[in-house]
Amino acid sequence: MSRAASRTGAALRPGLPPFLACLALLLAWQIAARFLAVGGVPDALSTFRELPAIIGDREALGEIAASLRRMGAGFGLALLFSVPLGLLMGRSRLVSALVNPLLMVGYPVPKAALMPLIMLWLGVGDAAKILVIVLGVSLPIIYHSRQGARAVEEKLLWSAAAMGMSGPARLARIVLPAALPEILVGCRTGIVLALITMITSEMIARQTGAGNILFNALDMAQYETVYAMILVVSALGIALDVLFERLRSGLTGWAEPIPSPAIAPA
Amino acid sequence: MSEALSAPLAGRGAPAVPHPGPPMIGMAGVTKTFKRRDGGTHLALDTIDLDVAPGEFVSILGPSGCGKSTLLYIVGGFVAPSGGKVTVSGDPVTGPGPDRGPVFQEFALFPWKTVLGNVAYGLREGGLSRRDAEARAGELIERVGLKGYERFYPQALSGGMKQRVAIARTLAYGPKILLMDEPFGALDAHTRIKLQNQLLELWERDRKTVLFVTHAVDEAVFLSDRVAVMSRQPGRIKEVVAIDLPRPRHRDELLLDRRYQRHVIDLERMIEDPPDLAS
Ligand SMILES: Nc1ncnc2c1ncn2[C@@H]1O[C@H](COP(=O)(O)OP(=O)(O)OP(=O)(O)O)[C@@H](O)[C@H]1O
Ligand SMILES: [Mg+2]
Repeated sequence: MSRAASRTGAALRPGLPPFLACLALLLAWQIAARFLAVGGVPDALSTFRELPAIIGDREALGEIAASLRRMGAGFGLALLFSVPLGLLMGRSRLVSALVNPLLMVGYPVPKAALMPLIMLWLGVGDAAKILVIVLGVSLPIIYHSRQGARAVEEKLLWSAAAMGMSGPARLARIVLPAALPEILVGCRTGIVLALITMITSEMIARQTGAGNILFNALDMAQYETVYAMILVVSALGIALDVLFERLRSGLTGWAEPIPSPAIAPA
Repeated sequence: MSEALSAPLAGRGAPAVPHPGPPMIGMAGVTKTFKRRDGGTHLALDTIDLDVAPGEFVSILGPSGCGKSTLLYIVGGFVAPSGGKVTVSGDPVTGPGPDRGPVFQEFALFPWKTVLGNVAYGLREGGLSRRDAEARAGELIERVGLKGYERFYPQALSGGMKQRVAIARTLAYGPKILLMDEPFGALDAHTRIKLQNQLLELWERDRKTVLFVTHAVDEAVFLSDRVAVMSRQPGRIKEVVAIDLPRPRHRDELLLDRRYQRHVIDLERMIEDPPDLAS
């Protein structure tokens, strides 16, 4: 009997357990909000009822899209210089010795705390917010790129050198792909940080964006909107993470210990 | 012990096969010192003199840590010597180049490339079109017995298969010298014998110059024209032994051959000598 039950358990669809977990969380939320009645905490149902007002609202969607655009720009710019810098640091003691002190100083600084300073130079527009996102994202990407580059087996580089490949070409064509799994670990952390910095920057420079909607609603005590916005931002975060995971397994499937003959050799 | 087995070897100390022109590989007074953690220096290689003739198969035989790999890396141009000179066809070595193809004990395959991608890599690097490179790579993959595995990633291969891919990848771009560092060291006895036979077959076909590092005596005797025996601390060439066995060589015949047995026993004794009694 119990064996039959566990069979059914094993046959569950893979999406079901997380779904049940979410359901349980919402239920707990609903019950807690109803019976504890803390001020400013709407129950789950009324929060969800607020969702269509955000998702259906052109203006709100435009704001969210603007947020995502800044986040993408910031992340992309950070990627553009952080990966090469990290790889160079990993392969050159000199570069590492030069840059490392700067990173050590920058590491513990909460990047969003620089926002007011940056606004003094760049105003409250997109430029300041994008710069803060760049700052927030770049450190983990630099760090993981460096770690990845350091761990590259020397004999891979020698093998390429014996084929006649020059030093700079080896950095791009051997170190980069060899370090890619580690670089992508940094990128994954970076995406979450980009989302956090995006919201925080919009909290400080109130003008547009998802964070702006959230904090305006908070000022006006529209708690359903606040919570609905938190749900939207979380959903965005999860969606980005899932998309990234897809991209990652497509790019570095070779690092997983199963043959994948479906991927054509390049 | 029979008289034949204890008799001194005729070929011992024999020079390279005489040939006109400079040696394919010339090592003259090559030394290498490493800095130690405590600030002192460690002499890993002490005045190595060894010439390898074109088309010759020379093994470097020695105990662990005697500097075999270091010497191979210096000939490859991956590591600079602290003293002395290495030449290839008379020209001094200043860095790695496609005339010297290394095969490392660690395989060193590009993990993000398939078997086909790995073997074709050096050809693409040499300027061949993708189609030509892959056609040529396909032939080599077949020659090392890996047909059907073209689209596998290195992760999914056994050690013996990886080593064959590594050999094919190096053969593909046509180096005139092969530098092989214990290529069969990590393999089980069966695979090892199979690959030794394959290597010998390949070599007897196109007679590249081979510098082959090993610490297995039977392997060195089976494959080589000459065996350079090294001693440790400091790494020195103790003796060079010519292997006067006819080619093509077949393993089962050789095992019964007195000369083969004599070489094996003699070389084994030579490496077993404690370093302080050696010189
Ligand atoms: N980069 C390095 N820094 C310091 N010492 C080194 C370095 N490379 C090698 N050595 C030392 O030089 C000596 C020779 O090393 P090498 O790897 O050439 O030996 P080997 O004969 O190939 O040994 P094995 O058979 O175990 O591979 C060893 O004592 C080793 O500790
Ligand atoms: Mg070695």
